[in-house]
Amino acid sequence: MSAAAQARTTWFERFAGSIRALMRVLRIIVRDPGLAFAVGLILLLGLIAVLGPVVWNKDPLEIDIGNILAPPSASSPMGTDDVGRDVFARFNQGARISLAVGAAVVVIAGTVGVLIGIAAGVFGRWVDAALMRMVDALLAFPALVLAMAVTVGLGIGLKTATVGIILPSIPFYARLMRSEVIQVRSAVYVEAAAALGAKRGRIIARHVFPNAMTSVPILAAANFGFAILTMAALGFVGLGAQVPTPEWGTMITEGQQYIVTGGWWVSLFPGIGVLLAVVAGSLLADRARDMVDPRRERDI
Amino acid sequence: MSTSVAEHGQGAGLSPEHGGHVLRVAGLQSEFRSRRGTVKAVRAVSLELEPGQRVGIVGESGSGKSAFALSVLGLLEPPGYVVGGEVILNGRNIAELDDRQMQTVRGKEISIVFQDPMSALNPVKTIGQQITETIRKHQPQLGKKGARAAAIELLRDVEVPAAGRRIDDYPHQYSGGMRQRVMIAIALANQPNVLIADEPTTALDVTTQAQVLTLLDRLVTERGTAVILITHNLGIVAQFCDVVYVMYAGRVVERAATADLFAHPVHPYTEALLRAVPRPDQLAQGPLPSIPGAPPNLAEVAPGCSFESRCPLGRGHKLCRTEVPVSTAAIGFGSGGATAECHFAKERVAEYLDGDATTA
Amino acid sequence: MLKLVLTRTAASLVAIFGASILAFVLLRVAPADPARLLAGPFATEEVVEAQRVALGLKDSLVSQYFRYIGDFFQGDWGFSFSVGRPVIDQIGSRLPASIELGLYAFIFALVGAVICALLATYRRRRAVDHTINGFALFGLGTPPFWLALIVLLVFFGILDILPGPEGRLSPRQEAPPEVTRMYTIDALLAGQLGTFFDAGKHLLLPALVLGFAPWAFFFRLLRASLLEVSGEQYLATARSKGIRRWTAFRRHALPNAFLPTLTAAGLIFAALLAGSVLVESVYQWPGLGALVRDGVIEQDYAVVQAFILIGAFAYVVVNLVVDILYGVIDPRTRTGSAVTK
Ligand SMILES: Nc1ncnc2c1ncn2[C@@H]1O[C@H](COP(=O)(O)OP(=O)(O)OP(=O)(O)O)[C@@H](O)[C@H]1O
Ligand code: SF4
Ligand SMILES: [Mg+2]
Repeated sequence: MSAAAQARTTWFERFAGSIRALMRVLRIIVRDPGLAFAVGLILLLGLIAVLGPVVWNKDPLEIDIGNILAPPSASSPMGTDDVGRDVFARFNQGARISLAVGAAVVVIAGTVGVLIGIAAGVFGRWVDAALMRMVDALLAFPALVLAMAVTVGLGIGLKTATVGIILPSIPFYARLMRSEVIQVRSAVYVEAAAALGAKRGRIIARHVFPNAMTSVPILAAANFGFAILTMAALGFVGLGAQVPTPEWGTMITEGQQYIVTGGWWVSLFPGIGVLLAVVAGSLLADRARDMVDPRRERDI
Repeated sequence: MSTSVAEHGQGAGLSPEHGGHVLRVAGLQSEFRSRRGTVKAVRAVSLELEPGQRVGIVGESGSGKSAFALSVLGLLEPPGYVVGGEVILNGRNIAELDDRQMQTVRGKEISIVFQDPMSALNPVKTIGQQITETIRKHQPQLGKKGARAAAIELLRDVEVPAAGRRIDDYPHQYSGGMRQRVMIAIALANQPNVLIADEPTTALDVTTQAQVLTLLDRLVTERGTAVILITHNLGIVAQFCDVVYVMYAGRVVERAATADLFAHPVHPYTEALLRAVPRPDQLAQGPLPSIPGAPPNLAEVAPGCSFESRCPLGRGHKLCRTEVPVSTAAIGFGSGGATAECHFAKERVAEYLDGDATTA
Repeated sequence: MLKLVLTRTAASLVAIFGASILAFVLLRVAPADPARLLAGPFATEEVVEAQRVALGLKDSLVSQYFRYIGDFFQGDWGFSFSVGRPVIDQIGSRLPASIELGLYAFIFALVGAVICALLATYRRRRAVDHTINGFALFGLGTPPFWLALIVLLVFFGILDILPGPEGRLSPRQEAPPEVTRMYTIDALLAGQLGTFFDAGKHLLLPALVLGFAPWAFFFRLLRASLLEVSGEQYLATARSKGIRRWTAFRRHALPNAFLPTLTAAGLIFAALLAGSVLVESVYQWPGLGALVRDGVIEQDYAVVQAFILIGAFAYVVVNLVVDILYGVIDPRTRTGSAVTK
């Protein structure tokens, strides 16, 4: 068999292997109602975020003074707000914003945190000490308070608020990766000594990677929910997205004064959006954790 | 401690005509239920214990020894359930009692020592608190001071040095062997008639094992406590027990006086156990030898003898594959009451008798 | 033991130092004009210039930092232009309302979590466990300010059985004589039952809403801890002594299960602190959290900045105290091991 043919077979085998792995994942999801629910929710919210603004093509910013605080109806399924904007259109746009913020936080905080954790774990000594003191400083703030500090200092808005959520998220990734690296490091020194010539870093990577492949996504799922919830909170306080941006938290604030005077729909629906997104993230993290560590899922 | 095979004082051997049992277990059945099916861990086990007698239970891992012990005490926790049988302790069936009624039985008439002394003591309570708990429960008349004095006395009895001071220590300040002594002190605190020791020395190192076993031997002899000793170690059985029960896949497949069992194993499983030890003097140490093949899956009961797939004698016999062997009295040996659960028990006994006759 | 206290305290001091630098950079160095930020958008140029001098903005960063920290520890937290009072007075007058609310929320969370964790684990009833677990998931995911609005809608707007957003007491109800400045306690001390019930009615919704997320945290931790512990051998040992199931559980499982949940106290404090900013203003509760949100809306950032520093400082202190407490309670860290003895 030629080298090329061999490469082809391995390529094909790899492809078939990943298909099989995908099928296995699907089977796991379908069998676990909690997991199926969480994945379904995320898919649903994703669908709303992507297709919502396209299918329901009302302008989320268009003011209609003649149609203020109209209750839900066929022409506006979630009613209109205090300046006559269509809540459903704003809800769909809000899904886009929230999911984008969640994704941005997870990707950026995850990348930065993972790199910090690896650096601290691999280099040890003063690098570790310095990085961990930085992480401790971030952890010395309650998460929302740190986010508030960032937005007050850097200027209020959606972008700075996202930065404000990224900062308190970093320590969790950093600590997780650091402990995983340190766990294998001691064992790897022995192996590295035996396998002459093999790079220590490569061996560590080979051992750390499989664990990180499960633990980091679990953390990311929980972090995703945290990010959406915190963004809504910042929006509500007035430190996040500013009016008239249809961010869910800001929308809840806009409806605050009408909640008992007959305009409940303005606040109700964006809140449900936040709730579903966060529950989906936590549930996904929970179920995945139980699967990785079956000891946690006791028979009760 | 005597080291030869079962020669110490207490009425050795089985004698069914000897009526007064402190404990008589009849047809005890328990199972673990899970989504994947039901594991029948204890399948109609019967056992008799006379006052002061020592009974050993041996069998490989997963044969249901611990499940049996917990079932006797009514301590099986869900998903484990006792589903049948009687446990007659001092003349009454404790299997019928509810949790409230069992309070006066556990720790007073019968108690247990677990295998792992590291996890059997509560890490956030002092040794003293954990010993006095059982004393105050069953001897409330002693009061707080009296219970503490009794606990110190017990600690001395189990040879914990500086008992008066160390009673206020926490478990993590004790070594493994010392913790097991504490467990024995707790178990014997209210002078029960029956003590179940579930692999009391397995988790200890060899020297400590011998010390703890010697101690246990002295204490139960002094108090006349009847003991059920569960172990993997045939050497310990040989030293300590009057009668041996051999468990396999949730059943007692053979029982006999210790000397008889070692001299004339009737059940092929017992024989395999003994044969796997190269020399008799090596019995004194080491865990249960391994036997080729795997024990059956207790979740699905196959027809026939559960040992069939591993049995050198029965393999291939249609009878062994289709019919469950019943307990057969192995009459003819020195003491009565020996049984073995094998279709060929009678033939094997006969062979032994022939052999003994020719050598005599 | 002393060593434990000292090392933990040292670690906390390092964390506070790092946090103070971070706060300094974010709030003093990063803004284009920190003096303008503090003085507010309507301040005249002279006022802002005076503020610049007061902050020492022309000095080196190092001396600015020390002035910043010095001011904080001396209680010089700036001036709130929107009310025309020093921030420290403002905060002082708002604190009791927040403490009272936080206290009740904490009690609800703690008691509720213990009861629910026991219900979910003790008898091993799957349906009960699943139900409470699902509820806890909502506790983690519900935006507190939204929940505050929704329960207000239900219990005031629709059912009309609880007071609306009118603060700590009904409009015509007089405040009880000041002792602790917590109305429920002061009312009881003065024997004014009517005031007590009125204050209680006003506390109920905000405290429940504020306690929801901490309840969920605490419940989840305690449940996991109880499950972990309920399989422990020492429970079987206790039962083998003739101790009843429940007694053995209470005496042996609960203390062991509680210990690890202590570490969550910091998180619970953080949830209450953040929650106060999110919940109080919905109920017009005259507390610190409402003050902060008003500060944001009026762009009165002196108040907000003081809150940020105090929040971080209190958070570190709570974590430190819990850390030390943990060491004191757990005999394994308090006393040496067999080897050292
Ligand atoms: N909590 C449980 N849930 C399900 N099955 C169990 C549980 N505990 C024991 N079993 C099953 O019951 C059977 C008997 O177990 P048991 O612990 O009594 O064995 P054993 O003879 O004491 O073994 P060992 O020598 O290892 O202590 C085993 O097949 C085991 O898998
Ligand atoms: S019954 Fe048959 S298979 Fe079973 S032990 Fe006896 S000889 Fe072996
Ligand atoms: Mg066992």
